Amino acid sequence: MIEPVELANFFTVFFSAASVILFGAGYALLFAWSRVSARPRLMPLAYAAYLGLAASVITLGLAANLFNSGFWTFIVLLMLVGYLLAPHAVWHLCVGTHTDAPAAESVKLTQPR
Amino acid sequence: MAALGILDSANLNGGQKLAVKYFTVAIALFAAQVLFGLLAGLQYLYPDFLYGVLDFSVNRMLHINAMVVWLLFGFIGAVYWLLEDESGVPVVGLALGNLIFWVFTLAVVAVVLVYLLVQVGPGELKSIWLINEGREYIEAPRWADIGIVVCVLVFFYNVAATFMKGRFTGIGGVLVLDLVALAGLYTAGMWYTPNISMDQHWWWWVIHLWVEATWEVLVGCLLAYGLIKTMGVRRKIVETWLYIEVALLFGSGILGLGHHYFWIGTPEYWLAIGGFFSALEPIPLVAMVVHAVFDAGHHKLKSTNNPALAWMIAQAFGNFFGAGVWGFMHTLPQINLYTHGTQWTASHGHLAFFGAYATIVIAFVYLAVQKWRGNVWMSGELVGGWKWKWALFLLHVGMLGMTMALLVAGYEQSQIERAIEGSGWMGYFAGQAHPWFQQGMVWRMISGWTFAAGFVLLAWDLMTIGKRESRPARSVEMREAPAMA
Repeated sequence: MIEPVELANFFTVFFSAASVILFGAGYALLFAWSRVSARPRLMPLAYAAYLGLAASVITLGLAANLFNSGFWTFIVLLMLVGYLLAPHAVWHLCVGTHTDAPAAESVKLTQPR
Repeated sequence: MAALGILDSANLNGGQKLAVKYFTVAIALFAAQVLFGLLAGLQYLYPDFLYGVLDFSVNRMLHINAMVVWLLFGFIGAVYWLLEDESGVPVVGLALGNLIFWVFTLAVVAVVLVYLLVQVGPGELKSIWLINEGREYIEAPRWADIGIVVCVLVFFYNVAATFMKGRFTGIGGVLVLDLVALAGLYTAGMWYTPNISMDQHWWWWVIHLWVEATWEVLVGCLLAYGLIKTMGVRRKIVETWLYIEVALLFGSGILGLGHHYFWIGTPEYWLAIGGFFSALEPIPLVAMVVHAVFDAGHHKLKSTNNPALAWMIAQAFGNFFGAGVWGFMHTLPQINLYTHGTQWTASHGHLAFFGAYATIVIAFVYLAVQKWRGNVWMSGELVGGWKWKWALFLLHVGMLGMTMALLVAGYEQSQIERAIEGSGWMGYFAGQAHPWFQQGMVWRMISGWTFAAGFVLLAWDLMTIGKRESRPARSVEMREAPAMA
């Protein structure tokens, strides 16, 4: 079911796992900031952060022997998709739940057409 | 309302008077947690210190039990604080609530005295009933276990009956359902079974499901109310988000329980379940970053109570780093095989508990002090405002220092003790003797003293903040009344 991490890969696993979450937060932060402040120039940075996340997930997968099993490979793919789509989904929820708020109009105007 | 800046119970409603009592005991127990943590930390450096008088095992137990109980007191206090405000009617059964507060407090005092003065007993049923049940983190003797459930049930009655008599807001509905789970899940840690795997199986229901389900939801309710009160966020938005966050938490949190079942003798499929949900658990936390940025841009962070808002923001970051980053670093079974039960776990536990729970209770105590002093000004340019800022700073520097020191020690343990030495008895000593471990314990101690200094400043600030203020609190625009369910 699992293949334990090699001793030489301990640091890589810890570091890449932390990077997954930090790049994930960076992606979410830049994504939301770009839209809430109408700064489309930030969006490429957001996706650059996502690429960092993807690299971290793949590094984690290699160091933690996740690609040696179909189940764990599926989890790697799920993480890649989940972290990519979650900020989009939450953004839509934010806009949807603030639609009738007067101050939300300025936010709505920054939505891409 | 009495004069601004003076502590006067006339400023509070019945539920809030009871809440203040709970907050007072919570802060006293917080002090006990810090004290016994310092003593336990010193025993890592000087193993003979208090040996035979107050052993490490007792100090550690008191340190952790004090934390569980002070957070519980804080949560109960916070719910009583918002209860009349949310429901629109006086607390139903308040006299019983007051009685239970004294019963609960005296029971805690009795348990602590037994921990300190009796400590251990013979291996028979009497010891389980009167001294120590022996289950890590929930060592309280059986009579106290039953007492805790009774107290929580009375608390549940107060809350449910009050909402039923008054109005059932969205926050109230989630809260009432959550309290059923809060009382019910605790009983899972009370049944005796001779099979250690089965015993651990149920024990984790209390530890994990209390913490990563019922407490998280409770904190969600408290944050929702706190954001309405401090920033004037619209109730409809807050309550919608409360439902979404509860769904996300339950979606990944309940079966995230699996990562505690990896090595206790449960079937192998828990490796897959635990790994799957552990990989997904941080996604809601990352997604919430979007919501935080959205709201920050939306509300411009003007608040009626800056210390409370600062601690609520600290909660968001603390939860993200403590639970998210520190949790995911060692949660997959491929690496958890080497890290579980080392100082890695302690590092994660320190930051996650402080970040996710201590912060929100402290925020509510600041809300309470503000109203207790006649709804005094607690926004920008607060007289003596340096104290809360320095307390926040020192507590965080201390906590981050402890977390990093324990992280280094745990990293060393996972390599030397677990991977190289194969988790044997000699490996344990090899890990403890390594310079990285020993230096980690020194830095943990230094950070612990920093944290203690922050706590002293926090306690001083809570007793004095707003005392020299004569301005009324800034008002925030409330755009709508509570919705009726």
